[in-house]
Amino acid sequence: MTTANSASKIVVSGFRHFFDTEDGPVQATGEIDLTIRAGEFVTLVGPSGCGKTTLLKAIAGFIRPTEGTIYCDGKPVSGPARERGVVFQELAILPWRTVRRNIGHGLEIAGIPKAEREQKVARLIDLIGLRGFEHRYPHELSGGMRQRVAVARTWAADPDVILMDEPFAAVDAMTRLTLQEELGRLCAATRKTVFFITHSVEEAVFLGDRVLVMTRRPGIIKARIEVPRRSLGGRDWETFTADPEMQNIAEQVLRLVRAERGAAEAEEKREAGAAASS
Amino acid sequence: MSTASARPHAGSPSGLRPGLLVASRWLGNVKILIPFAALVVIWSAIQAVGHFPERVLVSPSRVWDTMLLLFSHGILVEYIRTSIAMIFVATAISLAIGVPLGFLVGSNRYAARALETFLRYLQGISGIAWLPLVVIWFGFTHLTTLAIVIYTLAVPIIFNTMTGVRAVPELYALGLRSLGAGRLRVIRDVYLPGALPSIMVGLRLGMGYGWRALIAAEMLVRQGGLGDLIFGARTSGQIDRIIGGMIVIGALYIIIDRLLVQPLENLTIARWGLLRK
Amino acid sequence: MDPASFAGRAVSRLAWKAMPAVPFVVVLLAWIVLWEVFHPSKETLPPIRDVLSTIHDLAASGQLAQNVLASVYRLLLGSVLGILTGVAGGFLVGLNRAIAQMLNPLVVFFNAISGIVWLPLMIAWIGIGTALAVFLIWNTVFFIVFQNTVLGVQLVPEALENGVRSLGGSRWETLRSVTLPGALPYILTGIRSGLGFGWRALIAAELVGAASGLGTMIFDAAEFHRSDIIITGCLIIGAIAMAVDRWLLLPIERRTVRRWGLISDAEAKH
Repeated sequence: MTTANSASKIVVSGFRHFFDTEDGPVQATGEIDLTIRAGEFVTLVGPSGCGKTTLLKAIAGFIRPTEGTIYCDGKPVSGPARERGVVFQELAILPWRTVRRNIGHGLEIAGIPKAEREQKVARLIDLIGLRGFEHRYPHELSGGMRQRVAVARTWAADPDVILMDEPFAAVDAMTRLTLQEELGRLCAATRKTVFFITHSVEEAVFLGDRVLVMTRRPGIIKARIEVPRRSLGGRDWETFTADPEMQNIAEQVLRLVRAERGAAEAEEKREAGAAASS
Repeated sequence: MSTASARPHAGSPSGLRPGLLVASRWLGNVKILIPFAALVVIWSAIQAVGHFPERVLVSPSRVWDTMLLLFSHGILVEYIRTSIAMIFVATAISLAIGVPLGFLVGSNRYAARALETFLRYLQGISGIAWLPLVVIWFGFTHLTTLAIVIYTLAVPIIFNTMTGVRAVPELYALGLRSLGAGRLRVIRDVYLPGALPSIMVGLRLGMGYGWRALIAAEMLVRQGGLGDLIFGARTSGQIDRIIGGMIVIGALYIIIDRLLVQPLENLTIARWGLLRK
Repeated sequence: MDPASFAGRAVSRLAWKAMPAVPFVVVLLAWIVLWEVFHPSKETLPPIRDVLSTIHDLAASGQLAQNVLASVYRLLLGSVLGILTGVAGGFLVGLNRAIAQMLNPLVVFFNAISGIVWLPLMIAWIGIGTALAVFLIWNTVFFIVFQNTVLGVQLVPEALENGVRSLGGSRWETLRSVTLPGALPYILTGIRSGLGFGWRALIAAELVGAASGLGTMIFDAAEFHRSDIIITGCLIIGAIAMAVDRWLLLPIERRTVRRWGLISDAEAKH
């Protein structure tokens, strides 16, 4: 049972999801309860296949949960909507629109007048450091730049909560560090509610106010760890790696995650062995 | 992406540089004509040596004279106008019918399952095969020709729109739904532009088939147009008209394709970096 | 699984299987309704039973088979010629960049007038009949196969060819073991496309009175306003096209081209 109060943006209760396959229903997640409060940056870490993407899709409204309920601002989630913006791992920005028009797309849909739109878009373009590239098309940009546009687009639409599904996974390591710092700064500047799932423990601890650890498939949340926010301007990697408290927390989370990965691998070996000998 | 254009090179002596650039571009265009020139020469030679009767082969100069005559009397222009008008009207109507239909079949599983086999079946029956029946219904009129050409044009447009719509990643639509877009928005901002490259390909293909079907239909309906010209010339044994007409038919198609359709295709698609050229 | 949902599943599966037939059924129903309500003349829209009895009569008298065979014969003749010349020409042009550049404008032009446009000229040169039909089909098939072959040959990565040459292979050997198999997917797709177009062009090719054939059947019937025969002809034409493509050509392409994972429908020139 999770206590929902007026500050809760997202309340997930008794969520469990099954997929229909040819061989019958397959369990994607175990029973999950979680709350995301307004202004929080919640990160979720877990091994592959544990169901974290399924959970995100359900919160976003792309899939209807087999069991359980999901509420956003007290209203049940029934489909995708502006209130729950999503940034995907693969690019979903439109190749036939310029950077400017992509970022402003959500505002366009909301019917915001052009002048106001341009203003907001310009501000965001400055925030993500793409001034000078407003009129370029995505195929003219690097991977990191494109992902910035994707993030900015969702940000511009001013959703109640932003769901991010490993948005930096496909970007090279160097750019990823920069993007993470930028995201931190962006969140600090705009006080958004974010739900961010990832493979990387470091990323989860770096970005999050609260880190959730998920077990292997079918996953449930086995640990919730608070991360004290240090500076108001968002974290940077240098300070983070030098901070013993941060590193402690990171190690703690890593241990929890590793235990899951190890158990998952052991189970796979057992299954393979059973299959081979049968 | 900016395209380089020939600008006056600052400080160049009497504009020699740009002159060379323009000259080389003209040379490139002229190069295309060389094989045709060679063909005409071979043609002249064959005709001169072979002593063919006039109803079988005439010289290039004779063809040129005849066509010039037809042109000056406005007859050729009239024939050309009829065919051109027909292809463009048919294209417009085919797009109006074909794109929505292709959209439907491309996006809706049930529509696809129900309609695809039927459409493929129709694809196997050429427009000309239906011509006799359509003539019975609409007579030897432009309407008949139009119907046949629309039928021929619509098929590639429908199928290419279909594949175009299917090729648009669902993620784009989901992304937009998460920005608050409704169905119509998603169609307008995601599926229509996303399918556009494929639609353009379908349009080009369709116009190719449609042009040929038009000529064939005109041969049978005999209500004007270039097909009428060359078929009519056959009965009176006017080879010069036939050959001249064929050249005009080919040239017109190339003009329409290269100077109209292809640039349109390039404008929309290449600019978005979607064509894997 | 409870019996109610089992039955429900079976029904929906059956419905799914039957769906492709829906438009045909709709057309048939519309046909019947139009006939009953408007009573059009037999030549405008013959009643279904007329068409059915015509099909039966033509089939029984052997006329249908005769016409089909005549058409198919012409198609095969023209297509085989078209394929052979198309592949040969395609290789010649595809392998030699200079020749390709020189001939390209001509190819584009003659492609623009391929098929039926040659009809009047060819009647003057070789007269009406099988030769004419075969020429028109050859013309249609040739260009498609040619273009696809050129594309296929040009797309064979030079690296592969160089590899064989550096192993000591001769020109001919390279051609045989690298270029030909490499271009094969495109050639096969070109053949499949070409046959489809050839079949469609065939009808137009027969319109000026070849001795027999489906096209001839249709146009002869047109003179006597026998719409039932016209419709029969069209239906058979479509059925043969569909049958041959689905049960002969597609499996061949699937077993060779697609299995080798080489290209998709969209990439070859149609």
